[in-house]
Amino acid sequence: MAGGQVNRLPEGGRIDRSRPLRFSFNDKSYTGYAGDTLASALLANGVSLLGRSFKLRRPRGIVGGGAEEPNAVMQVGEGADALPNLLATQVELEPGLAARGTRGWPSTRFDIGAALDSFGRILGAGFYYKTFKYPRAWWKLYEHFIRRAAGFGRAPDSPDPDRYEHRNAHCDVLVAGGGPAGLVAALTAARAGARVILADDDIEFGGSLLAGGDAIAGAPAMDWVVGVVAELRELPDCQLLSRGTVFGYHDHNFLTIAQRCVPETDAQAQDRAPRPAAERLWRVRAKRVVLAQGAFERPLVFCNNDRPGVMLATAVSGYIRRHAVLPGRRVVVFTNNDSAYRTAIDLAGAGAEVAAIVDSRPGGAGVIGQRVKELGIPVLAGHVVSHVSGRRRVRGAGIARWTGEPWSAVEITLRINCDLVAVSGGFSPAVHLHSQAGGKLEWNDSQLCFLPGETRQPHDSAGAGNGRLSLGDCLADGLRAGKAALAALGLKPPEIEIPATKEIPEAPMEALWRVPAEKDADRCPKQFIDFQNDATVADIRLAVREGYRNVEHVKRYTALGFGTDQGKLGNINGMAILADALGKPIPEVGTTTFRPAYTPVRFGAVAGESVGALYEPVRKTALHEWHEAAGAPMEVVGQWHRPWYFPRDGEDLHAAVARECLAVRNSAGIMDASTLGKIDVRGPDAVNFLERIYTHNVDRMKPGRCAYGILLGEDGMVMDDGVMARLAEDRFYLTTTTGGAAHVLEWLEKWLQTEWPELEVYLTSLTEQFSTLAVAGPNSRELLEKLGCDIPLDGESFPFMRVRTATLAGMPVSLFRVSFSGELAFEINIASDLAPNLWRKLMDAGREFEITPYGTETMHVLRAEKGFVIVGQDTDGSVTPVDLGMNWLLSKDKDFLGKRSLARPDCLREDRKQLVGLLSRDGRTVIPEGAQLIERTGQAAPVPMCGHVTSSYRSASLGHPIALALVAGGRGRKGKTLFAASPGREPIAVEIVSPVFYDPEGERQHV
Amino acid sequence: MSDRIARSHGLEAFFGAAESVSGAGVEIALPKNRGFLNLRLDPRRERAVRAADEVLGQGLPLAANSFTGGERRVYWLSPDEWLVETRAEEAGALCGELEAALAGYHAAINDISGGQVALRLTGPEARTILSKGCTLDPHPREFAPGQCARAGFARATVLLACIDETPTYAVVVGRSFADYLCHWLANAAGL
Repeated sequence: MAGGQVNRLPEGGRIDRSRPLRFSFNDKSYTGYAGDTLASALLANGVSLLGRSFKLRRPRGIVGGGAEEPNAVMQVGEGADALPNLLATQVELEPGLAARGTRGWPSTRFDIGAALDSFGRILGAGFYYKTFKYPRAWWKLYEHFIRRAAGFGRAPDSPDPDRYEHRNAHCDVLVAGGGPAGLVAALTAARAGARVILADDDIEFGGSLLAGGDAIAGAPAMDWVVGVVAELRELPDCQLLSRGTVFGYHDHNFLTIAQRCVPETDAQAQDRAPRPAAERLWRVRAKRVVLAQGAFERPLVFCNNDRPGVMLATAVSGYIRRHAVLPGRRVVVFTNNDSAYRTAIDLAGAGAEVAAIVDSRPGGAGVIGQRVKELGIPVLAGHVVSHVSGRRRVRGAGIARWTGEPWSAVEITLRINCDLVAVSGGFSPAVHLHSQAGGKLEWNDSQLCFLPGETRQPHDSAGAGNGRLSLGDCLADGLRAGKAALAALGLKPPEIEIPATKEIPEAPMEALWRVPAEKDADRCPKQFIDFQNDATVADIRLAVREGYRNVEHVKRYTALGFGTDQGKLGNINGMAILADALGKPIPEVGTTTFRPAYTPVRFGAVAGESVGALYEPVRKTALHEWHEAAGAPMEVVGQWHRPWYFPRDGEDLHAAVARECLAVRNSAGIMDASTLGKIDVRGPDAVNFLERIYTHNVDRMKPGRCAYGILLGEDGMVMDDGVMARLAEDRFYLTTTTGGAAHVLEWLEKWLQTEWPELEVYLTSLTEQFSTLAVAGPNSRELLEKLGCDIPLDGESFPFMRVRTATLAGMPVSLFRVSFSGELAFEINIASDLAPNLWRKLMDAGREFEITPYGTETMHVLRAEKGFVIVGQDTDGSVTPVDLGMNWLLSKDKDFLGKRSLARPDCLREDRKQLVGLLSRDGRTVIPEGAQLIERTGQAAPVPMCGHVTSSYRSASLGHPIALALVAGGRGRKGKTLFAASPGREPIAVEIVSPVFYDPEGERQHV
Repeated sequence: MSDRIARSHGLEAFFGAAESVSGAGVEIALPKNRGFLNLRLDPRRERAVRAADEVLGQGLPLAANSFTGGERRVYWLSPDEWLVETRAEEAGALCGELEAALAGYHAAINDISGGQVALRLTGPEARTILSKGCTLDPHPREFAPGQCARAGFARATVLLACIDETPTYAVVVGRSFADYLCHWLANAAGL
C-alpha cells in the first residue's frame, strides 16, 4: 500500500498503516497514514518543494518538525472552509484534506516573483522603504503588486461554517508542554491533589520522547509516557489538553490555549449535528504555571542554507522514528554539538547513507563519537559545510576547514553529493511564554543560549526550556518545578521517584554563528537567518552600516522574527550576528520582544460562540412578540430592539409615521416605552440625596407629584433626563433614558457608596419589572375609562404631572400623567408579565378610537414638534441646561452636582451653542440631520461653522419639515437666516425659530 | 383577582409547550410560577433582620454568596441586598408582610416577579456549559451547593446558584435578556 510513498520506511513509526488517507497538495493527490502530519505525509511522498519564500521567492521545503517550521505555511481547505497560515508540521492528516502552498503566484513551481531572487543584491534590508517611496503618487500602483505578491495565504471569501467555543478554566498548576519535564511536573502536582491542566500542542503527549530512541527505567521511553498519561487521566482534577497550544501568557497568570479538536471521520461528523467545535479557546486562570515547552534546534548559517533538503537534525530524527519517513538517501550531517550524532545513527539505522558528519569542533564528539565510528560513519572534525548546491533540492555540500575565523574567506576542499543536509547549531529554549509573562532572560555562555531568568508572575520553567537538555536532567527539573509549585500552593509533595535513564556524557558545543564562505560576507551567496522573512547575514550587517543599533530597530528594518515565526528559528543566530557587527557581547544586544500569539490562532476561536444571532444580546420588551406579529421593523437602541414604526399595507416609513403622528394628535396612539430605565429610591434621606443629584427643587414636590428632572455631570453638562415621581415622603420613582439606565444607576450608587455613605437611601432597579405603555391623544382618557379604572381620571381629580396607583382592566398599575408628545397622555406602568395582557385589552377597547400603535420614529417627531430634547441626540456631553434653555430647572436654593461648573467663564459665554428650531426657507426641504450651519454661501474653505442640526423630521401635524439645532448664540438670532451645508448638496437656506413648534402654550397636555 | 389574569414570562416561543429542553448531558428548564422579591436592609440592625426572618420563615443568609432555604430561597446579593424566590402566588402577600414587619426600619422591598426569569440548568455537563460562558470557577470545591453569585454569563448579568451536586444551577436573569440567554445556552449545549 506504499503507493507513491517513496520515502516511507517499511516498518516502525507511530502511524497506523491500516488507515491510509488520501489527501491533496496543490491539486495533486497523495496518500499518507493516520498519525501523519501533513509535513510527514508530503515528505513520505517525496515532495520537497513546498512554497516560495516571502520576499525573494526562493524555493523552500520543510525545515523543522513542529511550531518552529518557517516555510511549510499552508492553506488548508477550500472556499469558506479555507484556513490560511497553518504549519504543515502541525496539521494532522485527515481524509480528503486539501492543502496548497500559500506562497507562489501563479504556482509554487513557476513563480513570477522568483525573478526577484536574481535582483537579490538590491533587495536588501529596507528595500521597500527605500524604493517605493518615490514618486509618492505611484504608491497605489506599487501597493497593488506588493500586496498581491506578499502574505501567507488568502482569507476565506465566505462565512466560516466551523463552530468554535470558549472555555473558562481554573487550576492550581498549568503545565505548558507535555514532554518529559512537563509530564513529571504535572504528575507531581496532580498526585498531591492539586488541580492541574496539562496542555501540549502535539497530537500525543511525550514531546521529544515521541521521536527519540530513549529508554526510561530500562524500557522504551514511550511506555513510561503512556503510564504517566494513564495515571493523570484517572485523576479527577487533572485535565489533559492535547493539540492545545498555550499561545498567550497575560497578566494575572491568565493564559490562553488554542486547542484544535480531534478530527472526526465523515460518518462521525454526520452523526452529530450541529458540527462539533473545530477549535476551542481556553481562558485559564492558574495559580502557578510551569513552562515546559522544550527547546528549538537552531539552524547553522552557511551559503544557500535555505535550499529544500536542508533540515534540522532533530526534525530528521523525528520523521524517521515517529513517522517512518526517511527524508533523504545520502546525507551530510553538519553540527557544532553532540546531539546531531544521534540523527546520524537514526539515519544509518533507517538505511540512509551518511556520507559524513561535518563537525566544526576540532575534537569532534564525546562518547557518542565512538558509536558513530563503529557504524562506519565518517566524521570530518574541525570542518564546516560552507555552502550547498542545488536549487529546488540540495545536490551537494561544499566542505571547508574551520579556522575559527567566521569572517575570513575559506577554500572549499571537498564536495560531497547528497540530497539531505541535517544541521544542528545547538538549542534555544522556547522562552516565548516566559518572556510574554514579563520574565527576564539570561545569557548562558556554555550552552550558548538565553535561559529563563527572573520572573514577574508566579511561574517557573522546566526541562529543555530551562536549559536542561539531557533526559535525566529534564525529568529531575520537572520534579523540582512540580515540587516548587506545590510548596507555593502550600501542598505537601507526594511520593514520587524519578525513573532511571542512561546518560551519555557529551563534549561541549562550540559557538558557530556564521560559517565562512569563499567570498566575503557581503558578496557570498545568501546566508539565511530568518527563513520565513528572508532575513540574511548581509541584511543585518547592512542595517548596522546604515546606523541601526537597537535590536528592535534592526528587527523592523530587516523583518527578522516577524510573522508566524516570531523568532523561533532565527532569533538567536540573528542576535549573535548583530552583536558581532556592533562589536558587543550577545547579552548586551538582547532579544526582541516575544509577543502572543506563539503560533497562529484562528479568528473563529477568538470569537467563540459570539457570532451570528449570538454576537450581541438582543433585549426584548414584554411586548416584543406583539410588535413582531404586527410587522414592525425594529430599531436597535443599545441592546434593545424597539419597534420603529408599524407600517400598514404598502406604507413606507414616511407614510406610516405621518399616519401615526396624526392619530396621536387627533385621537389616540399607544407606544411601548418599556425600555426606559426605572429606579426605586427609598429611605429617610431620599429627598436629601436626590436634591444633590437633580437640578430642581425636589423637596417642594408633594407625594403624588411628578417632575421633569435632569442630572448633570460634574462638568455641568447634561448627563440624563427623565421623570421623577414622589410616591411617598421617603419614596421616589425615577425614570431614565433607555441608553442611560445602567449608567445612571451606577452614577447614583457611586455617590451613595463612596461619597455620601451616611445617607440612608436604597436604590433598586425596576427596569425589568415594569413595562411602560404610553397612551397618548385627546381620546386617551376616554379609552382608559372605557377599560375600567378604579380612580377618577378627569383633569381636576388627576391633573397633569401627577402619579396615581390604580386598577385598570382588573390589573394593578401606576398611572403617570406625563406627556412626551404634548398631548393628553397616560404612561401606564405595569408588571412586565401582565403587560402583553393589558396591551391587548387596550388595543381591543381602543378600536372605536382607531387606537394606533406607534414606534420610535413617531415618538421622535412628536417630541420634536414640542421642542423636547433627547439626551444623546440633541446633546452630546458638551451641552449645559442653559444651552437648552432650561434655566427654569436650575434651583437657586440648593447645591447640586455640576452647579459650580455652570459658573465657569466658558459656560457663561454668550456665544455658546444654544438649542433653537430651524425651518427651511422654502417650507419644503427636509434639512439633513448632522448638517453644519454656516453664515453664508460661497466662502472659501475652511468655512467657519456656527452650529449643527441635531434632529430633523417631516411634520404631518404642521404640514412642513422642522428641525432642532445647536447654534452659536442661537437664542439671540431668531428670524435670522443660516445655511445648512452637507456634502454633495446645495446649502439649504434655513430660518432660526423657537424650538417649540406645536402648541407653544402647552394647553393640550393639560386638559 | 390578578391570579386569574394571563401572565407571560416571555419564553413561550423558546420553550413552546415543553417545560425544558435537553442537550447531551444537560437540561435547560423553566420552573413555572416563581415569584421574586428584592430586599434591601442593613444587616447590622438585628431586630429588623429578625423581623424579616420571621416573615420569611427562614434566616436571611448573612454570609457572602450564600443562600438559604429550599422551596423558598433567599439569596445573598450584596452586604445589604437579598433576592427572595418563592411561589409566584405568594409573592404579593409576602411583599406586603415584609413591608409591614419592617415599617419603621430603613428598608426597601420590591416585588420584582414580573421582571425576573429563573432557569434551571441541570445534568453532568452543566458545569461545562457554565464554563463556556462564565469566568466563575464552577469546581465543586469553589462553588458548592448553597453558594450563589452574581456573574457575567455570556453577555448578560445573572444570579447563579448551585442547588445540588448533580450539578444543578439556578440561573436568574432579567426577562429582557432571557430569550438571548436561552438561545445561548441551547447553542452551548449543542442544540
